[in-house]
Amino acid sequence: MSGSVTVRVLRRLQGLRTGPVRGPAGLRAVPGRFLSSGGAMNVFNRDMKKRQKQRVAALKDGHQYDYLRNEVGSRVADRVYDIARTFPLALDIGGGKSHIAEHLNKDVVQSLVLTDVSQQNLKQCRQTEIPTRCIVVDEEFLPFKENTFDLVLSSLSLHWINDLPGAIRQIQQVLKPDGVFIGAMVGGETLYELRCSLQLAESEREGGFSAHISPFTAVTDLGNLLGGAGFSMLTVDVDEVQVHYPGMMEVMTDLQGMGESNCAWNRRSLLHRDTMLAAAAVYREMYGNQDGSVPATFEILYMIGWKPHESQAKPAKRGSATASFGDLSKISRPTNAGRS
Amino acid sequence: MSGSNVWSRTRERLRIFPELLAQCADEAAVYGKCVAATTTGKQELKKDLCVKEFEALKTCFTNAAKKRAK
Repeated sequence: MSGSVTVRVLRRLQGLRTGPVRGPAGLRAVPGRFLSSGGAMNVFNRDMKKRQKQRVAALKDGHQYDYLRNEVGSRVADRVYDIARTFPLALDIGGGKSHIAEHLNKDVVQSLVLTDVSQQNLKQCRQTEIPTRCIVVDEEFLPFKENTFDLVLSSLSLHWINDLPGAIRQIQQVLKPDGVFIGAMVGGETLYELRCSLQLAESEREGGFSAHISPFTAVTDLGNLLGGAGFSMLTVDVDEVQVHYPGMMEVMTDLQGMGESNCAWNRRSLLHRDTMLAAAAVYREMYGNQDGSVPATFEILYMIGWKPHESQAKPAKRGSATASFGDLSKISRPTNAGRS
Repeated sequence: MSGSNVWSRTRERLRIFPELLAQCADEAAVYGKCVAATTTGKQELKKDLCVKEFEALKTCFTNAAKKRAK
């Protein structure tokens, strides 16, 4: 069972155009959930997400929930090393406790601007040899001038942004020409086990279900997203990280500890204990491993996009070919005289 | 908020949830199988389709909680 109903329904809301509701007093404001004439989606309560991140950053043992961010941060740093360039000025959007920069060194990135929506997170940023400036910034409103940064990084924070196309466009603007954006976000089939279990249990216990997992971007949409924002030479790849937990409750506790609690406007404010019990049983039965643990899948989408520049390779002009496909048959086959 | 209040009691109950569920593994497996069967078979998942299995699971769960509280 794909169990993708809840997620796809929310993404399809994008296509709905509902006008303002007319009440007796004239035009009433529509709740921020529907597509306004400005074209911006409002799925997540950004204020609540900020509060959740602040609360989580203030936890004494918060570092035990950082395993996923550490892992993805190190993989993003790998991709930075793959590019044989030195970046004078880099920006880390939603960087949190600086999970990427702790793997980078001064030869690759000379100076870093670390931003996050939560000040508590920035206060706990990890040690790195790169000189860092920490600024509290909302990912949807970057306060930087155009053509400022050589490198923009983002690890596991883009999935809480309301207007993702707009945010990617802003990233493209703050980049210098021939600058690069390397991002990692959770997408696609992340946490499908939890989503399916909750959906089935809620349907059986309560007769209907609501969305408990936020909508994610599919891999196929990333190409359009980056291309539409003006990036060229796109690279997108997918990594699946599977983490094993003792049970469903531990999955949810860890998600809360990571600061990934639900903050969508249409979230239900409670989960009945019967439903919780039922969902835990379904999760264990449908997805449990032999040793009694249950897996939780995180599908991480990595994207690399470059801001266009004349020095970048372009498709060749029509008619500039120097060889013809018809000549393929004339390529000499290896003879017995030892031609390799 | 200090002292014992409804939030600390609720959180405490949630904390021992996995421990209690572990004692009812068999009933949980039976209920899980009943629900999982709807994903493959022709039977559509309706409300209270597996109510008997769930009641068994819930009884086991509450008994485990009572035993622990003693």
